[in-house]
Amino acid sequence: MTEVPKIVVDRLRAALPKRTGPERAHPDADVLTAFAEQALSATERDGVLEHLALCEDCREVIALALPAADIVAAPLAAETEAVRATVSRAGAPAPHKLSFARPSLHWAALAAGIAVVAAVLLVRPGKLNQAMLPSENPQLTATAPPVAAPQIASSPVPSSPIASSSTNQSSVSAKTDEAPATPELRLSKKLKAGQGVTPSHPTESGMLLADNKKDSVQADKLSAAPSARARALDAPIVGRSTEAVEVSGAAVAVGVAPSADSSLVARNDAPAIEKAKPALPEMDVNGLQKTQAAVVPAPARSQARNMMSAVKLAPTASQTLTHNVAWAIAGGVLQRSLDSGQSWQNALRADHPLLCYASHDDDVWTGGQAGTLFHSANRGVTWVQVQPSIKAQALSSDVTHIDLRGDERGEVRGPAEIVVSTSNNEIWSSSDGGTTWEKK
Amino acid sequence: MPTSAQSGHAADVAAALYQRSGAAAYGVSAEQFAAILDEILRKYLSYNSAPNSARAPAEQKAEFCAGLRLEELALARACAAGNERAWQDFISRYRQKLHSMALHITRDGAHAAELADSLFADLYGVNAHDPNRPRSSKLASYTGRGSLEGWLRTVMAQEFINRYRKQKRTVSLEEQAEEGMQFAAAVPEPACASDRLSERKLEAATDEALAELSSEDRFTLASYYLDGRTLAEIARTLGLHESSVSRRLDRLSTGLRKRILAGLRMQGMSHAQATEALETDVRDLQLNLRSRLTQDSGARTFPEGKVPAQDAGDGSTD
Repeated sequence: MTEVPKIVVDRLRAALPKRTGPERAHPDADVLTAFAEQALSATERDGVLEHLALCEDCREVIALALPAADIVAAPLAAETEAVRATVSRAGAPAPHKLSFARPSLHWAALAAGIAVVAAVLLVRPGKLNQAMLPSENPQLTATAPPVAAPQIASSPVPSSPIASSSTNQSSVSAKTDEAPATPELRLSKKLKAGQGVTPSHPTESGMLLADNKKDSVQADKLSAAPSARARALDAPIVGRSTEAVEVSGAAVAVGVAPSADSSLVARNDAPAIEKAKPALPEMDVNGLQKTQAAVVPAPARSQARNMMSAVKLAPTASQTLTHNVAWAIAGGVLQRSLDSGQSWQNALRADHPLLCYASHDDDVWTGGQAGTLFHSANRGVTWVQVQPSIKAQALSSDVTHIDLRGDERGEVRGPAEIVVSTSNNEIWSSSDGGTTWEKK
Repeated sequence: MPTSAQSGHAADVAAALYQRSGAAAYGVSAEQFAAILDEILRKYLSYNSAPNSARAPAEQKAEFCAGLRLEELALARACAAGNERAWQDFISRYRQKLHSMALHITRDGAHAAELADSLFADLYGVNAHDPNRPRSSKLASYTGRGSLEGWLRTVMAQEFINRYRKQKRTVSLEEQAEEGMQFAAAVPEPACASDRLSERKLEAATDEALAELSSEDRFTLASYYLDGRTLAEIARTLGLHESSVSRRLDRLSTGLRKRILAGLRMQGMSHAQATEALETDVRDLQLNLRSRLTQDSGARTFPEGKVPAQDAGDGSTD
């Protein structure tokens, strides 16, 4: 874009009334709303624009009051077996106004996501599990707090009796008794809910997730799924799913799926997340909360965290995937090629144009205008928006360069350093995968 | 002087509006509703009436009222009047949304809860200082110009800005001090009298060029260059496509340059002098802004005259 002469910006700023001056009459909320909704007559709209051109506060009100925009990062269709399950129907970006769905829908989305995660985690090569039917453990049903039911009910488990581990069955009861504090308990339960999703039906779960993004009606349907069964399913899995997390780690994509999924769902929960640049200072110092899911309601947040910690248990798997993935930025959109550059697909279109990227194996980071920063741990199948911040200060300028500095062995996952340079010469770095940041 | 036929027509219109609003369900009488509409008309119609229009004022009024969100207006005003059923409806429709909106605006769970709760109290009309006084609900000020949901978002955004503006300023000043970005000091004093003169001419020419722009153009410039809004945000605010905003900014930039040069020459500068004055203007603007513009030139959102097909259908225009 052509740069305006500097004097123009200077005079625009000079035209702003001084803060110390008398307060002008601002258009009332009704008029500002009607303006933003294009409902004003031409004359009145002109008057409002005249005011807005000079009033920073009202411009900010308008910007803040814009309805939550389309979902930013719709993941693309995936190629690997493990990830196809998660995103099978999410190929096309699905622009829609994010309805502020009812909380039950959030849970539905979350539970559906977790179901997929669990399915993926439990499917280990060479170890097909055998379904544990609810009736097998009726005595455990009582231990499931009813609160978990609606969440789980939302994942319509196909319950094809293929996936379940007979090897673990013996330990189930004991482990259930040992089940620790509530959050972990809940996590395990939800993982369990996904157990019914067999390897042969993973797509369904993925569809649920995708559909949920597109259409809350689908989620409605989901919540109507029989909750009794879900409740019955709850208890026995506790020990088993925990174990599954500990031992699992087949492919890399499998290993990282949980975090990606949880954040995908979190994004669904978080209509505001598209706005990468907070207009006002962030008061929240907790980096994890910000990077994970800046605006997810507290319970969801804590669960996301729990999942993250569960995921960390999984040993970092060896790189089993092929390495012919290539990346490029074109027109503000991150593109990906899976055939060493012969064909390209859009991998991520953010709300702000993307400007740069860095990748290492499955880890891809991409940044753009206004502090936009996204991370994918699975070659762009799912994306997490990351909002680096320190104290009250957040990264809000354009990200112009990203560097991934591996450790000696060149491993980027784990304690590798992510270095983000911005247009105003800030350098932000994180050595824990984007959870906490330092600024130079 | 309205004839009896006209007043009869007006009564029909009023009845139709009342019917459409569904206000009866919330215990708002036709007279009360008419009074509400009257109040709104008095507030806004001066903007919207075309004095030279051949149409009768009554017709304009009817048209204006028909454009209001009557159903939401009835709900809001009935809530303000303390109708229990209206309040229940309001809660079921908007309570959850208020929290989502607050999260969207504050991007912080704790502050969101605080903001949503405080607005909710305002909407209910709790008077914290004097519980004995009658409730006065903020919903009484809703006039149905825009959607009730949009109004709630706007009111919340205003409250958020009022509440946190002070904090924000403090923080940003600290940040500036931290980074040594003191803009005021960055503008160098022109060395000699002739420089000061050309400086003043440049400012005058720029002001003039800016003043010639439409308010929408100036709004676009301010949003983009001062507030750092994205093309997408500006587009959504103005109801345009992102690429239109991009093209507009291009056009404005070229046009302004031309207008300023012309203005300088009007003040007696030669073309070369004018170009030099514009190009060698060394004021050090916000570092961020400048590099951002540089960046932009490398990565244009949309190439000239060509809008990627997949954008045509995306949601950025709605």
